[in-house]
Amino acid sequence: MADIVRKQAVSVEGPSIRERLQAMDDSAVVTAFLGGEERAFSELVTRYQTRLLNFVYRTIGDREKAEDLVQEVFIRVYRHLHRFDRSKKFSTWVYTIASNLAKNELRNRSRNPLVLFQAVQKNFEDDDRPLQFEDTTSRPDDMYRKRHLREIVEESVAKLPEHHRNVFVLRELEGKSYEEIAEITECNLGTVKSRLNRARNSFAEIIAPYVD
Amino acid sequence: MDCREFCDQHVAFVDDTLAGIELVRMQRHLAECESCAKHDAKIRRALLLFRNLPSIEPSAGFSQRLEARLRECESDHLLAATQRNLRRGAIAATLASAAMLGYIATTLYHHSDAPRDLVMAPVVATIPEPDLTPITTSTPAIVASVSSGLTIWPAALFAEQAPVRFAHSKLELTNYTR
Repeated sequence: MADIVRKQAVSVEGPSIRERLQAMDDSAVVTAFLGGEERAFSELVTRYQTRLLNFVYRTIGDREKAEDLVQEVFIRVYRHLHRFDRSKKFSTWVYTIASNLAKNELRNRSRNPLVLFQAVQKNFEDDDRPLQFEDTTSRPDDMYRKRHLREIVEESVAKLPEHHRNVFVLRELEGKSYEEIAEITECNLGTVKSRLNRARNSFAEIIAPYVD
Repeated sequence: MDCREFCDQHVAFVDDTLAGIELVRMQRHLAECESCAKHDAKIRRALLLFRNLPSIEPSAGFSQRLEARLRECESDHLLAATQRNLRRGAIAATLASAAMLGYIATTLYHHSDAPRDLVMAPVVATIPEPDLTPITTSTPAIVASVSSGLTIWPAALFAEQAPVRFAHSKLELTNYTR
């Protein structure tokens, strides 16, 4: 009897707060957080951590540093969310912070050769890691080919100039619109299109000898 | 459409954001121009490779590290807020003290300090009565008694014109004849 009463009580309560947060759009989650619902921030982290990590990683090419930068993005979001203009898209704001941090990182690296060296060293260490992303049921030569191809693609992206790479990753990996990219990179629409065109052409040129 | 125009519009063509007529023109050029068709295929193949890169996931400790940093950030925030409040309190106390001191100083100043425009106490000036006693001299005798040739007349006249008090206190007209 008591069980029945409890079950009825649960069904009356409806979805949990987490489920309700999951069903909300970004703007509503932000409003919930600003209204004092701390769990709303975890929801934002869950939504954006992988996307931001991939974006930053493709931009700077260093996985460990990319994680640090993504953490920094969330710290900044946490600190300054009350200042966020809610008439704008939350995702654009988050990507702008991430893009600026990635840009600063690249700038610091170019000024400090030691950092560059460390980054290169990390990439060498990456080579020693076990294969992580390939299908383990594939034949070894297929796995090697895939891994080799992945490295070539990543290296080709890394060869693009920073401002081209930023636009390229935002468009091709994150699927952002030209307008959003313009806002994130603080460029006008024409510049975004022109950079994207050049980045695509350069990338295709760099990678062509390996895939033909 | 020429090849240059095709290349200019290729970004929008690949992203499917061209208007209907433009799209048809691009497709027609693609069918006619082998070089542009090659270029288009090369770009699309490269993009396909990039878009299919495996996604990387945050490492196992990512959430814990972030949580720890957020907690740290929160405690820093609280500490900063407390310090800010204390600072505000200290500023308010200082301002209140300054205002109080100012008030006390102003009050004391008004009570003790002399006014800036000196106002002299009214003085009643009195002129002593001139001594109107007639000089009892014999004019010919004075003139005759001065051997140097200077007559006594000017001195007697000066004494009359001199400030009254001075004349009164210092100069005593003497009858030299006595």
